[in-house]
Amino acid sequence: MWIRLRRSLNGFYNRVDPLIVRCIGHKRLYTFHSPGVAECIPAIPTDYRLTVQECVTLWTRHFQLRGVSEPRLSSQYIIAHLLGVKTLESLGQDRLAEFLTHKQMEQTWKLCTRRLTRMPVQYVIEEWDFRDLTLKMSPPVFIPRPETEELVGLMLADLQVKQGTGVSEEANLRCLEVGCGTGAISLSLLNSLPQLRAIALDKNKDAVELTVENAHSLGLQDRLEVHHMDVIRDADMIVRMCSPVSVLVSNPPYLFSEDMASLDPEVHKFEDHDALDGGVDGMQVIRHILTLAPQLLSNNGRVYLEVDPRHPPFIQLWAEGGERGLRYVHTHHDFTGRPRFCVLENDNATYIKTRTSI
Amino acid sequence: MAFTQAVKMSLLCGRFKKYSYQMWSSVMSQRNYRTVLCGRRRYPSPKICQKSRAMHATQPLMITKLLTVDEIFARKPLQDYLKKIETEYSDSLKVINSTEGQQDSNEEFRIKRTRVSVLDPLIEYIKELKIKEQEFAETETLLKDDDPDMCQLAVIEREACQKAIQDIRQKILSQLIPEEESDMSDLVLEVTAGIGGQEAMLFTAEVFDMYQRFAAHQGWAFDILEYMKSELGGLRHASASISGNESYKRMKFEAGVHRVQRVPKTEKQGRMHTSTMTVVVLPQPTEITFTINSKDLRIETKRASGAGGQHVNTTDSAVRIVHLPTGVVSECQQERSQLKNKEKAMKMLRAKLYNIRLEEETCKRYTERKVQIGTKGRSEKIRTYNFPQDRITDHRIGKTVHEVREFLLGEELLEEMNTALREFSNQETLMDILGENY
Repeated sequence: MWIRLRRSLNGFYNRVDPLIVRCIGHKRLYTFHSPGVAECIPAIPTDYRLTVQECVTLWTRHFQLRGVSEPRLSSQYIIAHLLGVKTLESLGQDRLAEFLTHKQMEQTWKLCTRRLTRMPVQYVIEEWDFRDLTLKMSPPVFIPRPETEELVGLMLADLQVKQGTGVSEEANLRCLEVGCGTGAISLSLLNSLPQLRAIALDKNKDAVELTVENAHSLGLQDRLEVHHMDVIRDADMIVRMCSPVSVLVSNPPYLFSEDMASLDPEVHKFEDHDALDGGVDGMQVIRHILTLAPQLLSNNGRVYLEVDPRHPPFIQLWAEGGERGLRYVHTHHDFTGRPRFCVLENDNATYIKTRTSI
Repeated sequence: MAFTQAVKMSLLCGRFKKYSYQMWSSVMSQRNYRTVLCGRRRYPSPKICQKSRAMHATQPLMITKLLTVDEIFARKPLQDYLKKIETEYSDSLKVINSTEGQQDSNEEFRIKRTRVSVLDPLIEYIKELKIKEQEFAETETLLKDDDPDMCQLAVIEREACQKAIQDIRQKILSQLIPEEESDMSDLVLEVTAGIGGQEAMLFTAEVFDMYQRFAAHQGWAFDILEYMKSELGGLRHASASISGNESYKRMKFEAGVHRVQRVPKTEKQGRMHTSTMTVVVLPQPTEITFTINSKDLRIETKRASGAGGQHVNTTDSAVRIVHLPTGVVSECQQERSQLKNKEKAMKMLRAKLYNIRLEEETCKRYTERKVQIGTKGRSEKIRTYNFPQDRITDHRIGKTVHEVREFLLGEELLEEMNTALREFSNQETLMDILGENY
C-alpha cells in the first residue's frame, strides 16, 4: 500500500493502519512493521518541520507502538523540558503551534530514543520536582517517590509543633538521613526550616555526589554534610561522627527480595538495586537503623521511616519487645490509605541503660 | 443549496444580485426588523448592515441612573434613615449606661453594646457633617458682607466647606453599605466554553487572556490551576487562582454568560455567529472561615492502584479529589509534584464548596433586589461583545463601551466597565437598605 505522506502528520496518523504500510514522504521513507517487531525509530524529517503539538503526537504514537508505559505523558514531559518549561500545560496556545527548530528536533529525537529503552522520564530529562524543589536525577540513583513528599510533610508538621512549644534544644536542630539518594528529604527539610542542620549518608558514591551537586544548586550546601558511609558496615563511625541528632529519617530499601523480579523495566533496569532490596523480609536495613537509633538520638528524638505497608505491625512488635531503646509512637497512612510511615521516639530510660551497657 | 448560500452571502455583503425575486421579497418584507430570517438562520437585516455603527437600543433590566452623592443626600429616605440611626444609637447608649451593673438581660446587653460600637464611626461622621453644614450656612452670611476681602475669604471658605461636606457624605455612604464577608477574600476564576463549538472555545481563550492581563494590570497574582485546550487553539475549560487587594470585590461582577457576535475564524462563508462562554467567580475562603473534614474526601491518584511506594515509578501525578457528601469533584495535573497538584486541587475544591454555601446564603438574602449584580449565579447573561459593530454592552446597567480590541487587552476599558458596575451595585445596596423603590 503506497500512501502519500502529507505535510500534516496528524492527517497521516488518522488514515494509516499501523500494520505493514509503506509511506512516501516528499523525500523520506517511513516504514512501520507489524506490532511486536517495531524495531525502528522514525527518522527526523529533514525537509519539513513539525510543530510542538505534532511532535508530541508523533512520539506518543510511537511510544504506544513500542509498549512504553505512559506514552502521552512521557512525550509531553520530554518536549516541555526541551522548551524550557515543566509541563506542556504551562505553554501558551501560540507556542504549541510553533515549529521546532532542527536542533530542537534533534534533541527531541535523542531524548525520546532514550525513553524507548524504558529509561524513566526523570533520568531522560535529568531532573524532577520534589515538593517545592527541582532536583537533578541521574542513573542509577534512586528517584524520589510521591509518598516520600508526604513523609517530609509529616516531619515538618511535627517539628513545627515542637518549636511552638519552645523546647530549648531545638535551637540547634540536627537531622540525620540514612540513604539520601538524590538528597530529596534532607534538602526539602533544609529548605523549609532555616535553623536546621542536616547530615546525609549513602553507601553509593554516585548518590553522595548527586546530593552534593543538588545542595550546591539550591544554595543549601552550608547546612548539609554528606558522607559516603554504609549504615550496616560503618555503624560505629556513624555513631561517633553524627550523634546526637534530634531527628533520624530514612527511606530505606524495603522491597522484599521476591518482589524484585516483578518490577517494571523502568525500575529494574535503571535504578540501583541496593536502594530497593531490603532482604527476604524487606526489613534488613530497617533493623540496623532502629538498632542504631537510640545511640544517635538525643532526648525525645524521633525516628521517621518510610516502609512497606506490611512492615508497621512487625516494627511495632519489635519496638515493644522490651529494652530496644525506642518507643513506638504512631503509624501514618499515605494518601492512598496504606500504612506507610512509622514514627518512633527515643525512650530515655532504656537509652541510658543501653549506653551504660556498652 | 448553492442558491441559499448565495442569498446568505448577499445579505451580508449588501449586494442583492444573485437571488430570486421570491427570496428577496421574503427578506425585504422583514426589512423593518433588525434581523431577518433567511432559511433557518437569523442574519442582520441588509438595511442595518449598510449603516455603520447603527443605532442600537439595548433594553437595560433596570431603568435607573447613577445618582451623585449630593442627589442621594437631597432625598428624604436617606435623611430619615440617618435620623433613625441616630435615635437607635442614643437609645442603645442610654440602655448600656443605665444597666451597667445589671446582668439580667445579658444577651440583649451584648447586642446593644456591639451595635453601639458598630455605629460609633457613623455617628461621628454625621456629627461632623452637621458641623460642616452649619459652617457652610455661616459663610452665606459672610458673603453678604460689604468688605471685598471678607467676601473673598468667604468664597474660599465656602469652597473648602463644600469639599469637606462631599467627603464626609461619601464616607457616610460607604459606612452604610455593609462589608460582605467574602469581599476581602481571594478568588478562583473558572471559564468554560458555551454554545458555539470551536468558535466559543476560541473566544473563551481570548477572555481568559483578558482576565490574565487585567490581573497583571491590577497587580494581582494569577496562578493557573487548570487549562483544558481544544484542537484549534481554543480553550474548553480553565481555572485560575487570583489573589490580591480587592480582587474578589472587583471580579465578582464578571461572573455570568458572555456572548460574542462576530464572523469566526473557522467560518468559510463569512456568516456571523453568536457564541457564548461562562465565567464563574468563586471566593476562596481562608482556613478559619471554612474548614473541610478530611474524612469527607476521597483522593484519587494513579499510585493508588498497584503496590505504590518503591515498587513503582510513575510520572502521572494527576490528583482528583471527591467531596463525598456533596459529590463535588476537583482535579489537577498542572505540576510535576503530586503534592503540589493535591494542594491546587484542594484549593479549587474549597472554593467550589464555599461558593455553594455562599450562593445558598445570598439567595436567601437578596431575593428582593431588582438587579442582583454578582449574585444571580452562572446563568445571568451579562455582556455582549459585538465585533462588527465594535461595541461591548453590559446588559445589567445598559452601559456600552466601544473598541472591542482595546477592551480585550484587559486594561483601562475593562476597569472603566468594572467601576461603573461597582458603583451601580453600591447604589443598589444603598437603596435596598433605605427601603426604596426607584
